[in-house]
Amino acid sequence: MTLALARDFSYRYPDSPRPALDHVSLAIAPGTFTVLGGVSGSGKSTLLRALCGLVPHFHGGEAAGELRVGGLDLRAHGPGELAAVCGTVFQEPETQVVMGGVRAELELPLEHRREPAGAVARAVEETALELGIAHLLERRTDTLSGGELQRVAIAAAMVHGPRLLLLDEPTSQLDPVAGDELVWLLRRLNEDFGTAVVVAEHRLERCLPAADRVIAMAEGRVACDLPPAGFLEWAATAAPALETPAARLFSLAGLRPPPTTVKEARAGVEKVGLRPPPTTVKEARAGVEKVGLRPPPRPAGPAPAANGARRLRLPWRRRAGEPPALALRDVWLEVEDGPVVLRGISLELAAGERVALMGRNGAGKSTLLRVAKGLVGPSRGKVERAGAVALLLQNPGDYLIHDHAVEDAGERGVASAGLLGREQANPRDLSGGERQRLALEVVLSGGPCAAVLLDEPTRGMDRVHRDELIARIDQLAGGGATVVVATHDTEFTAAFADRVVLLGQGVVIADGPPVDVLGGGRHFSTQVARITDGAALVPEEGAALLRAPVSVEAAP
Amino acid sequence: MSLVPVYRPRPSPLHAARAGVGAGFCCALALTGALYRHPLVLGATLVAIVAAGVAAGVGSEMRRSLVLALPLALLVTIINPLVYAEGGTLLVRGGELFGRRIDITLEATLYGALTGLRVVVIVVALGLLSAAVDPDELLRLFRRVSYRSALTASLANRLVPVLARDAMRMSDAARCRPHPPGRLAVVRAALAGALDRSVDVAAALEVRGYALGGRPPRRRRPWSRHDLRFLGAALGIAAVAVGGAIAGVGEVQPYPTLELAWGAAVWALSAAIVLLAVAPFAGRAARLGVGGAP
Repeated sequence: MTLALARDFSYRYPDSPRPALDHVSLAIAPGTFTVLGGVSGSGKSTLLRALCGLVPHFHGGEAAGELRVGGLDLRAHGPGELAAVCGTVFQEPETQVVMGGVRAELELPLEHRREPAGAVARAVEETALELGIAHLLERRTDTLSGGELQRVAIAAAMVHGPRLLLLDEPTSQLDPVAGDELVWLLRRLNEDFGTAVVVAEHRLERCLPAADRVIAMAEGRVACDLPPAGFLEWAATAAPALETPAARLFSLAGLRPPPTTVKEARAGVEKVGLRPPPTTVKEARAGVEKVGLRPPPRPAGPAPAANGARRLRLPWRRRAGEPPALALRDVWLEVEDGPVVLRGISLELAAGERVALMGRNGAGKSTLLRVAKGLVGPSRGKVERAGAVALLLQNPGDYLIHDHAVEDAGERGVASAGLLGREQANPRDLSGGERQRLALEVVLSGGPCAAVLLDEPTRGMDRVHRDELIARIDQLAGGGATVVVATHDTEFTAAFADRVVLLGQGVVIADGPPVDVLGGGRHFSTQVARITDGAALVPEEGAALLRAPVSVEAAP
Repeated sequence: MSLVPVYRPRPSPLHAARAGVGAGFCCALALTGALYRHPLVLGATLVAIVAAGVAAGVGSEMRRSLVLALPLALLVTIINPLVYAEGGTLLVRGGELFGRRIDITLEATLYGALTGLRVVVIVVALGLLSAAVDPDELLRLFRRVSYRSALTASLANRLVPVLARDAMRMSDAARCRPHPPGRLAVVRAALAGALDRSVDVAAALEVRGYALGGRPPRRRRPWSRHDLRFLGAALGIAAVAVGGAIAGVGEVQPYPTLELAWGAAVWALSAAIVLLAVAPFAGRAARLGVGGAP
């Protein structure tokens, strides 16, 4: 028995020259957990929109072939009827919550179905308990955090008991903690209630441990449809951009089979006896240094004070007498009638330094960038800037306000964004990655900057675009600008940063090289760091470490 | 912080009352403002509304409503003497504008001020409704009458702050550009962004089964003591206000000289409005969770 069945299903958006889905054939069985992978524009979101009936009924366009969901033929049934079988959750929680209160939000889908009041009350209560949001029922939706809002959206999609739950990058707006919690919540729904889950996600390492099956999309077609281990074998040769860091570590080290979880990876490393995992971070680091993968850490300044706030930490790259590109001195920000967002932040950032600003949602990262740029004045303390400061806020679309790309960024900016020949394109028609690049050129169009600040630039970005962004960051830092990136993405941080500042409740709680901050962390650590006990952060380092076993003398 | 009061659940008798009754209570106070121009009655109604707001824990929202209403009241106060030249006490002899003589009289100015006070009472009463009555529950009642209109109102209620935040964000992004664009360009982009948001919300509604939507079923809910007390107060205020207006209590004769009735009936009416408005908040029965205890 299948819950959803596609046979040679193709779809083309209105006015689009090429099909978004091209002869897709697949079957989703009840109770399975399926992850949809693929680079941006590969057709993941369109496939989800087809499964819930928005394609073609809501978006228009041309569809061909057969698609049945819960036995309902897409040609004859629209999203309203398919909603009885499947619940759908999109990427942006803000626009899929339609009512002012959480309880009303959960009641709405049932009222659409004219369920009696008793059934509505019971379904709302049970769904809230299942999803751990019973304490939010009386809250207003505009007071919820992103993670809470996403849970409410899932509850609203689940409240009528659909057999299939479709989610389009549900963790892209969340911090690592909330993202991991959400994936495990989905797994629990899948295991305890038999709900089939189909989730499209760029961060495959987050979802694969929960998945039964991975469907990889490429140019609108199903490129691979295998269990996680099989998918990772396939990705190693056919689509390296889709490999998880752990799988990439294994493929670079020549190990097989590729692991789907950190636990499997650790067991795999020990099993082949390549090298016993080091017992302490200190041992591990000594090993890495010995094989010459990483230079010993640069001498750091005095450690932060107990509250991490007041003590100045000298940057590693700054030469004596050279003024910092950007300095925050005892910066406080107290919102009127609101919380204290920044509490005595002191940071000095040298020219050419690449800094990752990390911390959970609400830690003060975005506010710190806004204060550094001067969009918000500090309540106390001061900000010193050696020159112009460019800030790219979270939504690149906010910078693109004209009808043509060239009007926003100029011809030079369009060329720097790699969009030569698309000067007259409407920015709204560009992909997420292209918009990001164009918006960055908009803020850089004023000439050389002392500091470039980027706020969550990798949200919803695939690895190909992420690597392009790293290349641009290297270029900017090479040109003498300090680049500060507020991000939740630990893998991205490990790949680009030479300093990590971790914020918690408006206070600097860690400040050091990535190997110190990410290697010694739990949530704020990379997958490779978890496998190698913090000895290596990225797959290339980890693989070299595994390939070159070393005997480590006890550190003095 | 929004200038318009926003509903937040609070432990108060007014918040505990059903939305229809809470709205009726606030509307009865607004009705009083609409029926009278007498300063004592309007002042008493304003005191009643503010007292009810403070008792309901929305005192700061009442203050914001006053801040919102005062410019409107001032505008009415200024415009009235410019438009009406009636009244026997000339304050300023103006010139002619478009063939019309502009004279400012004391009576027209005072009458403008009374109309302004009336505006304040109505706006603050609606502010109390906005701050203390659950809009979702209220609009649910209307969904039984006009499903699509009520849902549209719910969406507007939810999306206006979201769009305001979007516009704020775009304005910040404009400030981050080396050459900030004109305000018009930002407004145009914000409107285009609002259309995108609308499409996303429409898609979310579709997948929640909006197309199946019809009249939601009636919900049977037992009447609590708060429901009954506020219903009684609302009916009492409406009856006193309408009865008084029919009987000609608190009549105001603005021209040629301003005449106000100050008889016992006006004082009694004003006192009744204040007492009726604060009554549901008074006594042991108004306490949450203990009123029904033996």
